[in-house]
Amino acid sequence: MEPYDVNGYRQMKANDTEQFLKLAKSVQNDERVPVNFSARVMTRVRKQHTLETRSADEQFLKFFRNLPWKEHVPYAFEKRIMARIREFLTPDPLTVWSRMLWRAVAPCFGVMILAALFSAKEPTAAFIDQAAFDPAETTTETVDPESTDFETVMLASFDDLEYTW
Amino acid sequence: MQATETDIRTDVRTDEELVEFVVGGEVDCFEELITRYQPRVFGMARKYFRNESDVEDVVQTIFTKTFQKLGSYKGTAPFEHWFMRLSVNTCYDALRRRRNRREHTISDMLFEDESWQDRLGNIPSDDDKEGMEQARELVHTVLDQVSDRARIVLTLQELEGRSVKEIAEITGWSESLVKVQAFRARTEMRASVERFLMKEKRL
Repeated sequence: MEPYDVNGYRQMKANDTEQFLKLAKSVQNDERVPVNFSARVMTRVRKQHTLETRSADEQFLKFFRNLPWKEHVPYAFEKRIMARIREFLTPDPLTVWSRMLWRAVAPCFGVMILAALFSAKEPTAAFIDQAAFDPAETTTETVDPESTDFETVMLASFDDLEYTW
Repeated sequence: MQATETDIRTDVRTDEELVEFVVGGEVDCFEELITRYQPRVFGMARKYFRNESDVEDVVQTIFTKTFQKLGSYKGTAPFEHWFMRLSVNTCYDALRRRRNRREHTISDMLFEDESWQDRLGNIPSDDDKEGMEQARELVHTVLDQVSDRARIVLTLQELEGRSVKEIAEITGWSESLVKVQAFRARTEMRASVERFLMKEKRL
């Protein structure tokens, strides 16, 4: 019995495969299409689609998508909007006045705080000055000299009235 | 000749140029923007509101809001995108405000002559004005039953065919939120349609 040549067999098989592949590659693709093939496929696709869209919600969506929505614009609509915009642009006296008042809020508030700070500080300063001038008096009683001046000024008119009567 | 050239140049002014003019103080240029966009805005508003007076109110609000916010338009994205985003958001706000004013119920939209599902199968022709009006009523009645967010997503995704990314840009929501909302919208819509069918079967 002839010994089995494994390598030779493999070599032969490899050659055959290569040859077969060459032959297969040389064969040109047949790209002919049967008549009305695309139409036939599309009919089936549509049929399938209608079968799929049998559920009510799908049907509703299909209806919703295919419904034409009118883009009709009322007569001279742009003029109407422009008139409204011009109204915005014309300043209303009341609005301007209120806007000014609102703008004045912050400065007024600032002035108020400053005035409060000054009025809180000033008596102390006067008191210190007076204490330096007359230390004995300040130790016994703490009279605000500003308040006495204020009273004199405020009641001056009433003093004059006494003389007139 | 000079005049004609100027006219031509005026005709081809881009949206961005017009915006620049309006912001610069030429208010009349805004009218051109309105004329350009009003059919689209009306078409869009009619998908959300059934009453013509509501539609007009919303469109008016959209344009006045646009005028007021025009200064905030940076010009990094096309004006159309910015404007459509503002329009959709205004419609959404208006829908929320009108939430309690749902005029029609399911029973109002049941037809004597044909079943509801049959009607869905036949889209009326353009000449059939009455049929078209009824069809729109039907769509509005079903969509009135779903939430406002669901309605916005359904309209943008299913009707206008916008992608998730586009919807996210328009609404200002994240893409994942849009996906979640789209899923919920479909569920709500399905439930609404089923309610119609159940009611019809009972009668």
